Amino acid sequence: MPTLTRGSFAHGATSLSLKTGDWRLQRPQHRHKAAPCATECPAGENPQAYIAKVAEDDLRGAWETLVAANPLPAITGRVCHHPCERGCNRGSFDQPIAIHNLERFLGDRAIDERWNYPINTPSPDAPQVAVVGAGPAGLSAAYHLIRRGFWVTLFDAEPEPGGLLRSALPPYRLPREVLNREVERLLAVGIVFKPTHRIGRDISIDELRADFPGVFLAPGTSRAREWTIDGVVPSDLRTGLDLLREWNSIGALPEYNRVAIIGGGNTAIDLARVMRFMGVEEVHLITFQRLPGPGVRPKDAMSATPREIAQALEEGVKIHEARGVRRLIMRGDTVVGVEVVHMKELDHHGRREPVAFEGTETILKVDQVIPAIGQQLDAATFGRALTLPGVFVGGDARMAGGTVSGAIGDGRRAAIAIQNYLEGLPEDVAVPLRSIAFNELNVNYFEHAPRVQAPLLAVEQRCADAEIEGALSQGTIVGEARRCFSCGKCMSCDNCWTLCPDNSVLKTERTEDGWQYVFDYDHCKGCGICAHECPVGFIDMVNEP
Amino acid sequence: MDSPRSNSHTVAELHHKQPAFRGLEAGHLACSGCGQALGARLVTEAIGPDVIIANATGCLEVFTSAWPRSSWRVPWIHSLFENAPAVASGIEAALKAQGRATKVVALGGDGGTFDIGLQSLSGMLERNHNVLYICFDNEAYMNTGVHRSSSTPHAAMTMTSPSGKMRMGKRHLKKDLLAIIGAHQIPYAATATVAYPSDLRAKVRRGIEIEGAAFLLVHSPCPLGWGHDGALSIEVARLAVETGIFPILEMERGNVVTAMKIRDVRPVVDYLRPQERFHHLFDDSPEARDELEHLQQLADHNIERYRLTASQPEAHDSEGVDTVGRGGMRWS
Amino acid sequence: MLQPIEGSAAVAKAVALCRPQVVAAYPITPQTHIVEGIARLIADDDLRCELISVESEFSAISAILGAAAAGSRAYTASSAQGILLMTEVLHNVAGLRIPLVMTCANRAIGAPVSAWNDQQDSMVMRDTGWIQLYCADNQEAVDTTIHAFRIAERTELPVMVCMDGYILTHTLEVIDLPTQEQADAFLPPYHFARTLDPRKPLTIGTLVTPDFYTEARYANHRALIRAQEEILAADRDWEKISGRSCGRLLSVNGPYDADVAVLSIGSVMGTLSDAREQHPELGPVKLIKLRSMRPFPIDELKRACERVSELIVLERALSPGGGGIIGPEVRAVLSELHSPPRIHNFAAGLGGRDIPLEIYPKLIEAARAHEVTRFAIIDVDIDKLAVEDR
Repeated sequence: MPTLTRGSFAHGATSLSLKTGDWRLQRPQHRHKAAPCATECPAGENPQAYIAKVAEDDLRGAWETLVAANPLPAITGRVCHHPCERGCNRGSFDQPIAIHNLERFLGDRAIDERWNYPINTPSPDAPQVAVVGAGPAGLSAAYHLIRRGFWVTLFDAEPEPGGLLRSALPPYRLPREVLNREVERLLAVGIVFKPTHRIGRDISIDELRADFPGVFLAPGTSRAREWTIDGVVPSDLRTGLDLLREWNSIGALPEYNRVAIIGGGNTAIDLARVMRFMGVEEVHLITFQRLPGPGVRPKDAMSATPREIAQALEEGVKIHEARGVRRLIMRGDTVVGVEVVHMKELDHHGRREPVAFEGTETILKVDQVIPAIGQQLDAATFGRALTLPGVFVGGDARMAGGTVSGAIGDGRRAAIAIQNYLEGLPEDVAVPLRSIAFNELNVNYFEHAPRVQAPLLAVEQRCADAEIEGALSQGTIVGEARRCFSCGKCMSCDNCWTLCPDNSVLKTERTEDGWQYVFDYDHCKGCGICAHECPVGFIDMVNEP
Repeated sequence: MDSPRSNSHTVAELHHKQPAFRGLEAGHLACSGCGQALGARLVTEAIGPDVIIANATGCLEVFTSAWPRSSWRVPWIHSLFENAPAVASGIEAALKAQGRATKVVALGGDGGTFDIGLQSLSGMLERNHNVLYICFDNEAYMNTGVHRSSSTPHAAMTMTSPSGKMRMGKRHLKKDLLAIIGAHQIPYAATATVAYPSDLRAKVRRGIEIEGAAFLLVHSPCPLGWGHDGALSIEVARLAVETGIFPILEMERGNVVTAMKIRDVRPVVDYLRPQERFHHLFDDSPEARDELEHLQQLADHNIERYRLTASQPEAHDSEGVDTVGRGGMRWS
Repeated sequence: MLQPIEGSAAVAKAVALCRPQVVAAYPITPQTHIVEGIARLIADDDLRCELISVESEFSAISAILGAAAAGSRAYTASSAQGILLMTEVLHNVAGLRIPLVMTCANRAIGAPVSAWNDQQDSMVMRDTGWIQLYCADNQEAVDTTIHAFRIAERTELPVMVCMDGYILTHTLEVIDLPTQEQADAFLPPYHFARTLDPRKPLTIGTLVTPDFYTEARYANHRALIRAQEEILAADRDWEKISGRSCGRLLSVNGPYDADVAVLSIGSVMGTLSDAREQHPELGPVKLIKLRSMRPFPIDELKRACERVSELIVLERALSPGGGGIIGPEVRAVLSELHSPPRIHNFAAGLGGRDIPLEIYPKLIEAARAHEVTRFAIIDVDIDKLAVEDR
């Protein structure tokens, strides 16, 4: 029992002995939520995590975080369709973070500084895995397998690695130098590369399975999709991808004056732009999909990257959206025109199908029509292998029409699956992470600021051989990184520590990524100010147990 | 996912190792989400340990000094309701006579400052004692159970100004205390709010540096008395500023020298709606609509009178002043 | 050193000798000359002290509460309305056990307004927890003021030094003003155990629940009772230095075997003493001078009245609807005697009415009457009353 003091004075700070935490009905808890950029990334990157490091001027640390998921950032920073930016919560406030610029900057810096991946080589007696196909899926799988402690032998039918990155992407989108340096670094981690090894010709699937306990097939989709219009196939028909590859290889195209390219994906756009750079007078692109923009649902929009579409339009490519080709106008064996009709993808008995609308036909005079409607797997060679134990499939071969970043993600997931298989562990069941929504942030604490814009070459200066979008300075990049909201992850802004009326948010040593606050549950009354005022939505109020 | 455990310190130890001086400690009896508790904590943080505080009767005094426990880490005296400025005057004179440089600060609520303590405050200001007086304005006598003071806003409901058939809450206007303070021509007076802690702390430091009398009016939401969730205390305080209802000003010798511009002016109803004490204004009756219009006019009048809008954003306007950055203050 | 000096001025000098660091005051008749005296001493650098001219008596006592709590010896003075305005703070000071000295220049309380002397103001403050000492003349006012600082600082109780307004404050008397050396020998530098100090932060003025409030009150009550020792010690020790006593807690003057006594307080003692000299025919009468009203000197009073059979209590205050103030307290104490005297309680001199020498025979006559006068205002003139109030 306390005894009175003279004049009833009290000693300072003695209130700490009263556990006002007993009053609580709810308590604050730190809960890391996924940022939408992370849940949207097909490669499985966590852009929020590496952007945080860029914001702190730790470029090396940022790159190392990035390459934990994606080993080819200088490539994806240029060619990815960046769904991360579409999902970025900053877009609901002013403009999304220019994540692809950040990624490209880090990739380029790593090349300039000759940074190495922060990974160890596998132990000498580690198992070996075969990877077929040195495109993005195969390269990614090989890299991730090495990271996980497996040796890898990588096969490719072509003399050089890269797959579509080399054969189909024009230099103005992906400079050769960048491609070579990225792939070179990747192969140097201890991957045994066997070029000009075609499966079915130089080595069989059964031989692979005999020599390697695990096999990853990422051969891409080498066969064009069958394409006819009304049963007619022009004699000089070339597919879009085929032409692109040829041009990438020899630098020349057949002579065209007016061309209609069918398709709305990256191949179609790339070919259209290359043709314009090569001087083809009229390049028409016909797609039943819509130009992306406000009011257009993603599933209705062209699958090509929006900035590529925008640049294509600047360069004079004529895009006929929501249209299809109904009939070829032939003179003998050659095409002289196409009949264009309104077309839209509709739900027919649970399936989405493009539907043409009679009565809306017009004629477009062209001297060639080029389908760029996608590829399919060479089932003859690979079909049977898809169901064999120890054989895993990824990239375009798994899902035709995939993306570079999707393929990279496939490669990573394949490496995990192969590891689980070889070590007898159960399959990883991916729990879909909910990403934090804009209305869960408190944006009162941010100020509007415009997004960076990388310099673009003027249209008249553009050509097929040089990059169109330029680089940004480090200061600009770091400034852009600082626009990041850090959705769902503490950024050590000190708000909770500053605003607690009960001195129940305390600072401690910095533990990770700026997470340095603890709750004093002895005294916290559960008012919820910290949760409400956390700019990044990192604190949840949960009922007292 | 739980908070990280501190590896080298217990939570109890951490209370003594914070990189900012916590003059008001945990374990006090304030309501959950109390704006005044936050204000007092921020104030003592900005002042540091070298201070003597004279505190008037009120919520802050009661919830921090129930014997045998005290939440204060600084020397602190509570005498009565109406005499904190006088007690502070005496302390200041004593320290002057003793040649000690410790700063004297007086704290009071709106009841003790606008009403019963006004005379004592006026005397202290007129004699220009080297004291910083800080009023935590929660706009009513909250300690006694939410009773109307001269600081209670027009049309707000309290237990002595309830709404009903004959009344729409408080009949009279909120007393313009800053004008009264200004008339005393003291070197520095300012308004601040717990919604903008950086601004509040800067003003406290300014007030401490002043040789002579200084006055701060800190808007402090009371979840219980104003009728909102404790979690919304900061938001409500912010809205008070963004609507123009509570202007953030600095005054020197009676002249307004700075005014925090409102970047995006919000309509007054945005501030009124979350608070139960204004609930009666939303029943769509003609009287209620008239009152809403009146309150909007009062806000507009503040905006005009103090020139609270600007043609372009400023670093210390209502948006810029609370912008956060990665990193805060580093632990060491 | 002997000199003719106005009572207020002498008290001002006495205060200055005690080296206060803070004086706060609000002007009210008849205290004004004391504070003016202090102001002049400061202006002439005879006293280094902060003088705060506050905006009310409430703030005056509050300011010196703060000053004393912050480690400085502090003083104020007031009268009547001002004392009453201080009521809340007087309780506060005593409850916080802060040492302070205040001069009450006794004056009547309004309504009706009166600027003249009686003792209602300090009497109604007898329950605040302050020590109250009354001065019979200006020399006692000087000496008691000096005692007061020491008593306050040793007991951690505030002391009210009461002197009749105008009668003492505004009259010239030949006073032996002490020297600074004498004062310094008697009164050490101010020390308060719970000084507000950032090096040792304390929280003063807490809320106390029913579990402990009783004990806090009891502690104050006991402290006041035990303060009698310090009041006695101060008088004895100052007597050694100055050669003068103020009469301890209570003093008796008159024949040992007189069985009639008159007890009173303050400056009227002089009148009673002169009157007794002029009326030897009225028999031997003891004059009992009450000095300490709080703490009330129970044992001394009983001893003084052991052989008394008729006791007249004369006071300059009353409790309306009840009777006297000192009278009933005396009655209560003396009821414990084996054969208590008959006690006649009179009030006189209210609102500055002169108490002439002629009052003495009236008092003695009343004491010898058959009936005991439980309480009467001896100098009231019924003919002056409003018709409806007769």
